[in-house]
Amino acid sequence: MKPIVSVRNISKQYHVGRPQGDRPSLRQAVTSAVMSPFSRLNGRSSDDTIWALKDISFEAMPGEVIGIIGRNGAGKSTLLRVLARITKPTSGEIDIYGRLGTLLEIGTGFHPELTGRENIFVNGTILGMKVKEIKRKFDEIVAFSEIERFLETPVKHYSSGMYLRLAFSVAAHFDPEVLLLDEIIAVGDISFQKKCFAKVKDISREGRTIFLVSHNLASIRALCKRVLLLQSGRLCDEEDMERVIGLYVNYKGDEETVGKNAD
Amino acid sequence: MTDETVTPTPNRMEAANISPLRVNIDLPDEPLIKIRARRKFDLINLREFWEHRELLFFLVWRDLKARYKQTILGILWVILQPLLMTLVFTIFLGKLVRVQTGTTPYSLFLYAGLLPWTFFSNAVSSGSYSILASSQMITKVYLPRLIIPAAAVSVRFSDFLVASVVLILLMLYYGVQPGWQILLLPVLAVQITVLALALSALLSALNVKFRDTGTAMPVILQVWMFASPIVYPRSLVPARWEWAYQINPLTGIIEGFRSAFLGLPVNRQGLAISAVITLLLLVVSLLVFRRLEDDFADIV
Repeated sequence: MKPIVSVRNISKQYHVGRPQGDRPSLRQAVTSAVMSPFSRLNGRSSDDTIWALKDISFEAMPGEVIGIIGRNGAGKSTLLRVLARITKPTSGEIDIYGRLGTLLEIGTGFHPELTGRENIFVNGTILGMKVKEIKRKFDEIVAFSEIERFLETPVKHYSSGMYLRLAFSVAAHFDPEVLLLDEIIAVGDISFQKKCFAKVKDISREGRTIFLVSHNLASIRALCKRVLLLQSGRLCDEEDMERVIGLYVNYKGDEETVGKNAD
Repeated sequence: MTDETVTPTPNRMEAANISPLRVNIDLPDEPLIKIRARRKFDLINLREFWEHRELLFFLVWRDLKARYKQTILGILWVILQPLLMTLVFTIFLGKLVRVQTGTTPYSLFLYAGLLPWTFFSNAVSSGSYSILASSQMITKVYLPRLIIPAAAVSVRFSDFLVASVVLILLMLYYGVQPGWQILLLPVLAVQITVLALALSALLSALNVKFRDTGTAMPVILQVWMFASPIVYPRSLVPARWEWAYQINPLTGIIEGFRSAFLGLPVNRQGLAISAVITLLLLVVSLLVFRRLEDDFADIV
C-alpha cells in the first residue's frame, strides 16, 4: 500500500533577533531599500536564523496513529504547522493523498456571542467541512459533546468544560483522511477523555491517519504505534517505539546522544 | 506529572488492536494537497477560493449576527452613519457655503454620494485590519487567506444594501424619478466592491508587515473623500485639477451612482477609466497578497 502522507526533506528556517523590535517599520524598510536596493524587504542579510526543522523525511500509512514527541522548542509545533499548511516550509516537499483536518486549538473561530448551534456551523466550516456534512452530523456532534440543553445559549456562558467538549466534538466529526492533533486530546474530565480516546481509535480503524503531538507519554503509548522524536529540529524515527520513547525520557539536554541516532 | 494521573489507563494491548490491515481506503493517484516551499512568483488560487464560499458566507454571517447581538440600535447604525453625515454636510456646505447642485436637492445629492462612499471607506478600513484581527484563526488553521478581507468587505456590502433602502425613501420624499440609468446600479455595485476588495487585500497584507499602514489609513481615506466629488459636484473643480479626478477610480463610480439614482447623464468615459484602474489595482493587489500571505502566520 502506498503512504497517504509523504514528507520529503522538509526544513523550516526562522529569523530571530531582528535588531529593532519584531518587525521592521515602513520607514526602516524604505530606508534600507534606498540604502541597499539589492537586499530584499525581508532583510535576510542582517538576521540571525535558526532551523526549526532540518531535513525531515517520513511517510505515514492510512490508519496509522503517529505520535510526535520532543522537548519544548524541538520543532513539534512547527512540524504540525507545516503539515497543516499554516506556514510554508523553507525547502522540501509534502504530498497528502486525502483531506486534511487540523485541530491545533480548541474552538478556532468560536464567537462568544453566538450560540452553541451557531458556533457548530461557523467552526465546522472553518475546519473545512461542508454545510451539508455539518447538517448530516449535527445530532451526532451535539450528542457527543453532551451540551444538548445549552444548544441555544451563547457560548460565552458555557463552562470551560462545555466549551472544550463542543469544540472537540465538532472537530472529531469532521472526517478527514489525515487529522492533526496538538495536545488537545487531554480535554475535559476523565470520562470525556475516555470518549476522546475511543474516538481517536475509531478514526484510525476507519483507515484515517492521525498525527498527535503530546507531552503525555501515557496517551502516546495508549494511542500510537509509532512515534517521531524531534530533537532540535531533527528527526529520530525508529521502528521500536519504546526505544524512541526511552531516548526521549533519558534525554538530558545532551545533544550528542540523540544527534547520533538521528543521523 | 498530573497529566499522567488523569489519563485513562494506558493499555498497550488496546493500541495493538488497531489493525491497519482492516483498512481499505482508496487513495487518489494524485495528492490532494501538495505542500511546496514558497516560490518567488505565484498566482492566487481562485478555484480554491470558490470552493470555500461556504466559509466566506459563515464568516460574514458570524460577524453580522454577533454585531446585532451586541448593539442596541443594531441595524439602525448602518442607516444612521450616512444619514448623520448627510445632515452635517447639508448644514455646513449646503446652508452655509451654499454648494450648488443644479436641480437636485443638495441633501439628496449628498446621500447618493455618501452612500457608496460610506460603504467603500468602511470596507477598506475594516478590510485593512481584517488579517490582523483574525490572527488567532490564521495561526491555527489553514484557509485561503483572501477569504478574510473578502468577508470584511462583504459585511460592509450588506450594510450598503440596507442603507440603500433609505435612499429610496429619500427619493420618494423628494419625488425624484430614476431613469433608465438605474439599470447601471448592479454594475456600479460590482465595480466599487471589486475596488474595495482590491484595496483591502493589498492593505491587509501590508498591515501585517508594516503596522503603519493601518495608522495611516484614516488620514488617507479622509483626504480621498474630499478629493472625490462626494460632497460637491465635479463642476466646482478648477480645470487644472481635472487630471486628478480622472485618475481617481472613485470619481467615475460615485458620479455613476448619482446618475443611476437621480437619472442624471452618465459619464461613460469616467466609468471606463475607473473600471480599467480598478482591474489593474485588483491584479496588483492579488499578486502582492499572494506574495505576502505565506508569512502571515509567522509574523502576525
